[in-house]
Amino acid sequence: MSNAQKRLMIAGYGGLPFGEVSQCEAGNVGVLGVPSEVSNGPRMGASLAPDALRRMTGQLGADLPVNGRDLGNLDLSGDWSDALMQLVTQLVDNDVVPVVLGGASDVALAVLHAIPDLPVVAAMPMARGDVAARQANTIWVGLNGAQPADVWDQISQRKMGWRTARHLDEGHGEFSESPERAVLWIDMSVIDLGHAAGVVGLNPAGMKPETLVAVIGAMLCSWQAIVITGLAPARDTRGMSELAAIETLNAALRDG
Amino acid sequence: MGDAAHIQFDTIPSFLGVPVGDLEDLVPDQIAMVGYFCDNLDRPAAGQRYLARQLRYASQSGKAPANAIDLGDVNVFPLEPDKHFSAVIAQCGAVLETGARMVLVGGDSSGLKALGFAGQKITGANVPVVSVAEGIASNLSDDQPTILRVDLKELAGKWMSQPRRLSGQSPTQMIAQIHATPGCVIAAAVFGLAPALDNRGSTETRAALAILQAVTERLEKGAP
Repeated sequence: MSNAQKRLMIAGYGGLPFGEVSQCEAGNVGVLGVPSEVSNGPRMGASLAPDALRRMTGQLGADLPVNGRDLGNLDLSGDWSDALMQLVTQLVDNDVVPVVLGGASDVALAVLHAIPDLPVVAAMPMARGDVAARQANTIWVGLNGAQPADVWDQISQRKMGWRTARHLDEGHGEFSESPERAVLWIDMSVIDLGHAAGVVGLNPAGMKPETLVAVIGAMLCSWQAIVITGLAPARDTRGMSELAAIETLNAALRDG
Repeated sequence: MGDAAHIQFDTIPSFLGVPVGDLEDLVPDQIAMVGYFCDNLDRPAAGQRYLARQLRYASQSGKAPANAIDLGDVNVFPLEPDKHFSAVIAQCGAVLETGARMVLVGGDSSGLKALGFAGQKITGANVPVVSVAEGIASNLSDDQPTILRVDLKELAGKWMSQPRRLSGQSPTQMIAQIHATPGCVIAAAVFGLAPALDNRGSTETRAALAILQAVTERLEKGAP
């Protein structure tokens, strides 16, 4: 058995040991897989993402730049949304950063419900009304295409920060106001399908993977929670989408 | 090697379609292309040892300098590291001693290490290794013997069948760096790619071939 194979069997995401919430110390991360599936649409496969990401970090030997525990996958047989919210609350209360690997967007919504007061940095192609309606302003990264008029009105009236995918790919990645503490939600559909096909949403003219890594890495926020959704690894045989998720997560944790 | 032998060996796949030859065929300033079938000793990754074979089978003739020759593979002993290194150093040294310049193709970075020792042994001085990924070292004089390090892991993920990183160089950037390398390049190692056989593997193989061609052209030039 090769070292890479051994590592796959004994280590969790990014080389972290598997463990319990109680084993996480303040300043650590707690990685949790929530393999929910998108409810409709032709591009399924988000439920495969948590395990695919663990496997890919094992193959690459890509370690996280922080310590912590991989808490395994959440059991989705019951009311998992409530269980996820409780778990996230418990981690945040203990000063542990939850890193939640979805799954579909319902995973991120549960995380945001658990942390209602913090601003959100949302990397996604289409602005969402429920996120825009939160008390603190959201920063939108990588918007692309026609946006819902009512959501756009909110964004404009409340002077939220936003950048389109094109802005960012052309190097205009600076935001005038950046929160000190925030929740980071990366919907992998923010990436152009042509660069990384393993996503649940079709987003032509979306961001390049390396732009996403650079933009998130350059943000000076202290991330209180990070959630990744919309990755459908089986649709990308080369693993570019998983690589984009892993490098973005590493960039966020390294600098934030 | 006589004409009869050339005819007999014409069908053997060789790097860039160059003639197949042996150590005694080498003359000064010739370009010797040599395969390195070992990927378990330095930054190991299984599959890198097949790069030389893949590039030979994918090669077309007419793309290499006229004085290039394929010497086959160096003998390796991957399970006996000490014996392995001394054997590879000796073989690389024997090639360089003829006055030929050489490129070691495939495997892991242990080939480059052996090449470095061989270069040092032949020139009697430390031979700097210039990496194409780290930019051009402008402090090298034109007559300074150097070894070129071409790690194909430095290619950006979009060029690879199984990407390991998003950022990196394009083949065009790498080739430009190879041509702009200062010093008198006496040897080079092209390594770090485990070639795949799918459609993307075809892309990365073609990129690697173009890079290998640039390396042979740079070796032919010697000092710029």
